[in-house]
Amino acid sequence: LEPQTHRKGCGCTLLLWLSLGSLGYPLDCKDDQGSITRCTSISQDKLLDRVIQHAELIYRVSEESCTLFEDMFVPFALHSQRNRGGNMCMTKSFAIPGSKSELQQISDKWLLHSVLMLIQSWIEPMIYLQTTLERYDDAPDALLNKTKWVSDKLLSLEQGVAVLIRKMLDEGVFTSAEFTASLERYDVQLDMPDSVLRDYTLLTCFKKDAHKMETFLKLLKCRQTDKFGCFLF
Amino acid sequence: MERQVKSGKMVVRYVAILHLQTVFLLGIETLAVLGHAPTSEAPRQGPHFTSCLSREQETFRCWWSTGSFQNLSQPGALRVFFLKENSISRNWTECPDYTRSVPNECFFNKTYTSIWTSYCVQLRSGAQNVTYDERCFSVENIVHPDPPIGLNWTLLNVSRSGLHFDIMARWEPPPSADVKTGWMTLVYEVHYRERNSSRWEVLDLEIGTQQSIFGLHTNKEYEVRVRCKMRTFRNFGDFSESIFVHVSQIPSKESTFPVTLVFIFGAIAVAILLILVIFSQQQRLMVILLPPVPAPKIKGIDPELLKKGKLDELSSILSSHPIYKPEMFHEDPWVEFIELDLDGMEAGEKMGCSDTQRLLGVGAQLGSSHGLGVKDDDSGRASCYEPELPEADPDTLAAICLAQHEKGATSLLPQSNLSATTAGGTPPDPDPAPIRDPIPCPTHRPESRPLVQTQLSTHSWINMDFYAQVSDVTPTGGVMLSPSQQSRVTEKIPVEKKEGQDAQVPEKENVGEQQKKAEGKKRFQLLIVTPEEGAYTSEVDAQKVSSGYSHEKSCEDSIPQTIQPPAKKISQEACQQLGGPTGDYQSPYLLPPPIPVPPVSDYTVVQDVDAQHSLLLNPTTTVTATPAPTPTPTLTKPSPAMAVGYLSPDLLGNLPL
Repeated sequence: LEPQTHRKGCGCTLLLWLSLGSLGYPLDCKDDQGSITRCTSISQDKLLDRVIQHAELIYRVSEESCTLFEDMFVPFALHSQRNRGGNMCMTKSFAIPGSKSELQQISDKWLLHSVLMLIQSWIEPMIYLQTTLERYDDAPDALLNKTKWVSDKLLSLEQGVAVLIRKMLDEGVFTSAEFTASLERYDVQLDMPDSVLRDYTLLTCFKKDAHKMETFLKLLKCRQTDKFGCFLF
Repeated sequence: MERQVKSGKMVVRYVAILHLQTVFLLGIETLAVLGHAPTSEAPRQGPHFTSCLSREQETFRCWWSTGSFQNLSQPGALRVFFLKENSISRNWTECPDYTRSVPNECFFNKTYTSIWTSYCVQLRSGAQNVTYDERCFSVENIVHPDPPIGLNWTLLNVSRSGLHFDIMARWEPPPSADVKTGWMTLVYEVHYRERNSSRWEVLDLEIGTQQSIFGLHTNKEYEVRVRCKMRTFRNFGDFSESIFVHVSQIPSKESTFPVTLVFIFGAIAVAILLILVIFSQQQRLMVILLPPVPAPKIKGIDPELLKKGKLDELSSILSSHPIYKPEMFHEDPWVEFIELDLDGMEAGEKMGCSDTQRLLGVGAQLGSSHGLGVKDDDSGRASCYEPELPEADPDTLAAICLAQHEKGATSLLPQSNLSATTAGGTPPDPDPAPIRDPIPCPTHRPESRPLVQTQLSTHSWINMDFYAQVSDVTPTGGVMLSPSQQSRVTEKIPVEKKEGQDAQVPEKENVGEQQKKAEGKKRFQLLIVTPEEGAYTSEVDAQKVSSGYSHEKSCEDSIPQTIQPPAKKISQEACQQLGGPTGDYQSPYLLPPPIPVPPVSDYTVVQDVDAQHSLLLNPTTTVTATPAPTPTPTLTKPSPAMAVGYLSPDLLGNLPL
């Protein structure tokens, strides 16, 4: 079942890549500093839709990357780790709503900020993951391409969310592009098993957080369209 | 800068945590592996969790079993504790809700359910001193959605053959799953199979709530069911209720009807094409299929004869063929041969095959063989081929020769011919022209008369003394008597005249004159009979000719080779008339001499043509026998040279030459 799903995932990825073309070009409102006044060319709903599409794609690609890595490098015995969840994921310095009830209680503002923080927390690790994956001798190109793609899309997603925040909340936020994101290269040569475990953990954790982003944004959209129905649950 | 340091620290801390947790993980891993081991591992197994799952990602339940420890089946003997990953207090909390209705089930409601956080549950004994089992998981990973509801199908279409059909299956997402808000993104999987089949056909994951199924067979019952799962996860939910699809085949001939029509039209079109091809290429096909059979051909035989079944003529031709019956030459006394010169024959052929020319022996040449010299290259032109043409010319030539040397034994014919030739167009003077001897006659003479009478063709002209020899045939058709003889034309005309006119009298005249000439003169006097004169011969000429002519003698001697009855008549009459005094008798016949030259008739008159196409110069028929005109057509058929004024051999014999 796993390889089949993996294949299906690859097939879905192909469609994703095709559909990414429509999303490839940046948001209309994306510009250097993201001033509000410039982003009048796209409606909020459309922007939100596009952001949600971005998040969905990122989540699916991350899931495929995780599967690829898992099939390639992770022994089967450790596959159950996925069930374990995010025990080893990095604890965030901010509180992220964990349950649906919590989500229903928080406001839109908090949703957006949560999303933004999530995104920003993963920009650097993803870059790091890119470099570390290249060290693998037999890392499939698909995996490398996917991780690279995810890194790029994260940035654009961040931009979009920032614009959303400005639009919806009339707040100004700092994006990671505003300050130089210099990755402190962590070139510690860990043993291979550790490296594999570490990377695997990174991938699974990122996948989880991508799912969070998608869910948050969808919930936000639901609230935009049917506030009453979405709140009541 | 500060940010960089911060990020660097974060990374370092991250790695450290990873390291520690790795060890922790490994430790737990072994326990987890043991925990997930199948029950077949050991017959005696303690209490353990059987499964933990969530249906809507909002709550979850855990079940356990007591295993083989029966003493722990009572409620409260086993307790479940759980630990959330991010819980502030790192204490194990007991199950918030032991389901009363269901034994060994712990239910975690919404408040206790956190997504994206890992849970660990422990199965402890009542006293909490023994931990039988522990599990850790994340809620989203144990989500098994409820089955979709409302599965039904609609018919899309039926194939033209009526054997296949397509349906569209529709369903609704499970009500428990919050798809609307995007809390759960479900994908569906449709299965179908034939009623009695054991293998399910699995279709691809469908994110929508409908799926089309193609290629189903009519008259077969199908079972369709659907299940769903979260999009990026692997746990399928339960299957929905199966529905049964059945479409009965509509019996209709309509599908077969067009096919039959197509076949029929196709066959007709192919047949038409074939016919067109055959008709357009008819000629070539005929040549290929039925090569022309070469028609039977025998040299010298007209295929027309074969077709019409004229066996008599055919046999005559065959018999007369020199190849088949060469001995005929010597056997049949009545067979006359015309000595033909090959060159003259060619000339004659070029002119067109007139029988008259043939008869006269086209270009008979001295010294030519007495045999049939006709070139046998006739490819069926029977009309031109007269193997049995009597050689009048050799006879005449012989006659001429004989007459030259015999006094009174010459015939008028050669004399007249000679005289005619000598005259050469000049008006014949009353005086008998000197007889030229154009022919180097052979000395063989005694048998001239009998030869003449018997008409032995074998000895041809050498023994004949009353024949003039034709040396050549002019292109115009005239026979050239050797040498420097009169043109044939003049002789022709008398023939025509004879045929068309009642020229008995003039013929008689001519004959008489010729006789007279023959008798009277020892010299040959060739008189030219002009056609304008009506073949009248002058008395002078007649006198010349008939000098020394004995009437009785001439009359007695029958004309052996009188072909023309008029000629016979003439001879008879001439005899009678000439019987009297020559001078007196001749007077009434004397006519103003328009240069009446007796026709250059150095050939005998052909009397008849027998069945074998041989000219009969038959002397048996007496002069008195047939005074009446014999059938002219028979004579015209071979069209012998009916020159007026032919002198019969007997008459010639009476000539006092």
